[in-house]
Amino acid sequence: MGPTPTITIHVPGTLRTYCAGAAQLSISAYTVRGALEELHRSQSALYRNVCDETGKVRRHLNVFVNSDNVRDLDGVDTRLTLGDVVTILPAVSGG
Amino acid sequence: MADRVILTIGTKKGVFVADGAKPRRRFTLRGPFGPGVPVYSTLIDTRGTPRLYASSCNPFFGMKLLRSTDMGNSFKETKSAPAFPEEDGRALANIWSLEAGRGKKDLWCGVEPASLFRSHDGGDSWELVPGISNHDHARKWQPGNGGLCMHTIIRDGNRVHLGISTGGHYLSEDGGETFRPSNQGVGAGFAPDPYPEFGQCVHKIARHDDAPGRLYMQNHGGWADWTGPGGPRPDIGVLRSDDYGHSWRSIAKGLPSDFGFPIVVHPHDADTVYVMPLEPATRSCPGGAPAVWRSESGGESWSRLARGLPKKQTYFTVLRDAMDIDRLQAPALYFGTTTGQLWIGREGGEQWDCLFDSLPPIHNVKVGVV
Repeated sequence: MGPTPTITIHVPGTLRTYCAGAAQLSISAYTVRGALEELHRSQSALYRNVCDETGKVRRHLNVFVNSDNVRDLDGVDTRLTLGDVVTILPAVSGG
Repeated sequence: MADRVILTIGTKKGVFVADGAKPRRRFTLRGPFGPGVPVYSTLIDTRGTPRLYASSCNPFFGMKLLRSTDMGNSFKETKSAPAFPEEDGRALANIWSLEAGRGKKDLWCGVEPASLFRSHDGGDSWELVPGISNHDHARKWQPGNGGLCMHTIIRDGNRVHLGISTGGHYLSEDGGETFRPSNQGVGAGFAPDPYPEFGQCVHKIARHDDAPGRLYMQNHGGWADWTGPGGPRPDIGVLRSDDYGHSWRSIAKGLPSDFGFPIVVHPHDADTVYVMPLEPATRSCPGGAPAVWRSESGGESWSRLARGLPKKQTYFTVLRDAMDIDRLQAPALYFGTTTGQLWIGREGGEQWDCLFDSLPPIHNVKVGVV
């Protein structure tokens, strides 16, 4: 396994208040799970908005790696490579 | 000297605050705070400098608790909200009730899945109350239509009464250390056993300081015509206890329906109690004509209060925490509807007027005099 890839997490506007206003965070992680664990360590307030107490990504959130929903890849075990962009978005809702 | 009447209105799209002078002729509205996020519980804490609390139940980003220290001109998140320990395996789905505790900064919070949390610092940190949250029954309770929620917390000295839908009534007599189900006489309509030990769909419980031992309960009624196992269960919906909740008896005779959600006691008369009977199928008032029903005899008889309310073609629901009464000499009732109207019932419900007509669907209404 090579050096831990540095990736970018894109933070949606509604959550930026939980990470000092940052729109993007630079994180080193091999997988989405690793990226979330790093968020847990370094951005705990933001993390609590993304994952529930059991560590699962909240039910109505979607996590994308670049343009792919991790649901269609390997879930939180999806591997990350240098320069990937991880985007956290609320599921579409209406009505 | 208290001279303002303040209302917290928890809605589908945030919390609103309305306040008015004591005559209650008109109210000024502020909000929504926590815009766009459902609020299921609020608390007007008048111990010391008034503080307002609102649960902000975000289906996307989880549960938050909002606090205002300036009478509802602004709200900020507390430092943390209730959360289960990581190893517990449960995740908070909703915050259903907020109540003041014994100490000046003590708060209690009932949540979904049904569990109880406690704060000693005004909501900045929370601890699980294991006596009920980890009770042997906790994993056996089933969710009702509104989820598996702990919606009622009543403190009475060392007694703590909890209402859980659908868990029933649980009682602690040691300050909340241990709890046991206390449902003798509380019927259930959705199980073969009409009087199970626990698992009833309690909708709301109320008490009055001047009547020690007495409690009123709005239970899930509407089972008079049930023809399944166990037979019909008439009048199980509105109940009274005179022994601190150890046993319960029906006081539903005289009501047009024993189904409903809120139950409220007059602040100066423990014999005067209010309910809003609903048709169980539609959750709206019988005949499409809204009315609050009042008993001035502790439930022995009931009278209809509807002057000023629509007379027909009205099908809103008033949810379990959407009715309250102020503590002024001639108290006014308030209820909020799922169609976004806030009504005031002056002179104890004798005359009704609509204060606000087009709010979001209302989950919760609390009133305080500050």
